[in-house]
Amino acid sequence: MNFEFMIKKALLFSLFIISSFILGGCWDQQEVNDLAFVTAAGIDKSEDGKVELTVLIFIPKGKSSQQGMEGGGGGGAADTLFRSAEGKTIADAMSTLQEKLPRHIFWGHCKVFIFDDDLAKEGLSTHVDFILRHPQLRERSRLFVSEEKAKDILSLIPPLERDISEVLKELSSFRIGMDVTAKDYAQMLIGDSNASALPLIKILPSTPGQEKQTIAYVTGTAIFKNGKMIGDIDDSVTRGVLWLRNEIRLATISVKPNGKNDGFVSMNLLRAKSKIIPLIENGKWKIKLYAVGNSNIVQNTTDLDLSSPEIIKPVEKQLKFEIKKRVNIALWEVQERMNADIFGFAEAFHQKYPKIWAKQKKRWDEIFPSVEVSFDTNIKIQNQGMNSVLSNHPLKGVENK
Amino acid sequence: MIEQGKISSAQMAIMMNPSILATVILLVPAITAKNAGQDSWISPIWASVIGYLTVLLAYMLNKLYPNQTLIEYCDLILGKFLGKVVGALFLFYYLHVTGIIVLEYGEFVLGTFLTHTPMIIICGSMMIVCAFAVYGGLEVIGRCSEIIVPVLCLLYLVIFLLLIKDLRIQNMFPIMEKGLTPSLKGSIVPQSWFSEFIIVSFFFPYLADKDKGLKWGFISVFSVMFLMVITNITTILLFGKLTSELTYPVMVAARYISIADFLEHLESIVMAIWVAGTFVKITVFYYSLVLGTAQYFKLSDYRPMVLPIGFLLVLFGIWSAPNLQELSHFLGTSAAFYFLSFQVGIPIFLLCIALVRVKWLQKKGSMSG
Repeated sequence: MNFEFMIKKALLFSLFIISSFILGGCWDQQEVNDLAFVTAAGIDKSEDGKVELTVLIFIPKGKSSQQGMEGGGGGGAADTLFRSAEGKTIADAMSTLQEKLPRHIFWGHCKVFIFDDDLAKEGLSTHVDFILRHPQLRERSRLFVSEEKAKDILSLIPPLERDISEVLKELSSFRIGMDVTAKDYAQMLIGDSNASALPLIKILPSTPGQEKQTIAYVTGTAIFKNGKMIGDIDDSVTRGVLWLRNEIRLATISVKPNGKNDGFVSMNLLRAKSKIIPLIENGKWKIKLYAVGNSNIVQNTTDLDLSSPEIIKPVEKQLKFEIKKRVNIALWEVQERMNADIFGFAEAFHQKYPKIWAKQKKRWDEIFPSVEVSFDTNIKIQNQGMNSVLSNHPLKGVENK
Repeated sequence: MIEQGKISSAQMAIMMNPSILATVILLVPAITAKNAGQDSWISPIWASVIGYLTVLLAYMLNKLYPNQTLIEYCDLILGKFLGKVVGALFLFYYLHVTGIIVLEYGEFVLGTFLTHTPMIIICGSMMIVCAFAVYGGLEVIGRCSEIIVPVLCLLYLVIFLLLIKDLRIQNMFPIMEKGLTPSLKGSIVPQSWFSEFIIVSFFFPYLADKDKGLKWGFISVFSVMFLMVITNITTILLFGKLTSELTYPVMVAARYISIADFLEHLESIVMAIWVAGTFVKITVFYYSLVLGTAQYFKLSDYRPMVLPIGFLLVLFGIWSAPNLQELSHFLGTSAAFYFLSFQVGIPIFLLCIALVRVKWLQKKGSMSG
């Protein structure tokens, strides 16, 4: 009895020990010091129809060496390494790349993908397919299109952040331009409108002598139609697009209040929400942009006394007009010039008028340019700032004018 | 009776929840979305009707034969020869279905995490754990699931809560764009999952509180339906049309969570839910199969059957489909009819004959009396 008990205990104990070997994951064991963490990847078109994959790999360093670097390099010294390889597909290039790296490439932390515009003009869907299919790649990684070669962007050494992927991630989280993840892009590709958009980035000119110490920043939006890039719009036009897509978060708007041509009132948008309401009337397709929000006055270069409600009213009116102007520019550029529905009009009509949509969806390319957009904006000025001394007590010269 | 243990009806309900849901959360949202589009969240509601029906069937059969399981009353209803044939069909069916579950488990672990580990190791190690539970008997399985399931459900709901900020309600519209047909069509595959509820007929004889069996059975169906609706709504609101293109939408949804840049990469939670849930599911099916086999051959104990059948299950799992595409295709097409005919068709047939028999016996009894 006692002996049997002992044997049972010994068996149980050995089971625990054996399971600790198995828990490591036997065939799939991956030690951290055998992995190369990719933080960003760039895909370029190379001359002979192949793709060139460039990856940015994080170099883990001990604390002592890092301090040494800081002393010598004045910050921003490379703690990343970048390598590139060519291949017929990204996956193909990846295996070539692995030949040049002593560590196993690990994609789990890759949060940024940059495509150069030559590749974007040929279409990105096949490359996005790789991002969605590979088990290690994340659907939340952000996509960008660059005017320069993605390779050049990845070789930059940002002075403030750890590496370029961090810079781009932070920049796009401000929502100044579009912020598109791989999932969003795939959704746009199979969406009703057949058009998609990605943020466009460019290298920021650097101070002379420190050519590599700069960043890439979002300058506008690349517009795709049928999966291929057909053009781009600049920063200010993108703002109008963001209003239509309900993606506006941060904005500073300066207006010239009625009749005063010598100064601006600048406002920071606190919160804004927009909505597009589709309407089909007598065969005419219309969209109403409905936007509400609050803003703060942050600067006043006019001599208006903004503390009085009578004066705030026309400023608010101007604010509405300014927003309308921004949206109209975006409509002109994207709707009339490119005929690419990146605003989500197609989805809106589909959702509200499923029956009409089913009949007319083949004609969407003809309908879209003629869709009329009207506005119903209601942006309030909530706060006139901490201090209003100067504009309440204008200088004598200004008063006499 | 071979099984001496007793479980409560609530334990049975808890046990059945992951027995249906565990495999649903993987492939089914995508398969449903393929047919139902943005209406895929309605499909589980239609499908749950089959769940209620199956529980009711099992309950009524149990009313007629209170101390027998499905395999045992096959004999009593259909007579010696036909009863044995149908019983054998059922045993082969459960062998196949449990094999498929083992394969689904293996494919998922293999496809997403342990890409280099041989299938036989992944499935085999799971079978060993399940074999221990089955060896322990019904009470052990019941208590195991009492510990595991509440944690699972909680974690599962947490995943969806963390996703709220990424959801877009517009993806749900237009509701019922093409009428009821797509959502009904989409419900066929979930129906085959709901029909798995017939397995409660193996547990009804061992309930300590038989009068509550039906009630808790229905609660269990409802809980499964509720979680399926939440799953489908979340995947549709998050991915829209893309849902049908993804292999494992719930997995991708969990990966998509990112709160304040540090609460992210939560796919291991899905993995934990999945492994624990499948453990319960395989154990329940494995147990029923082992018990049924022992009853079929009129053995005095089911324990000697545990290991050989476990071995067979691993083989059936590996044989049942060569790859994930075949498996997914099978589950999305012919499997529904296969599952439904075994899990709903034959029990209805059995019940009809049993009712006729009872009526006939009563008539005979009253005539002679």
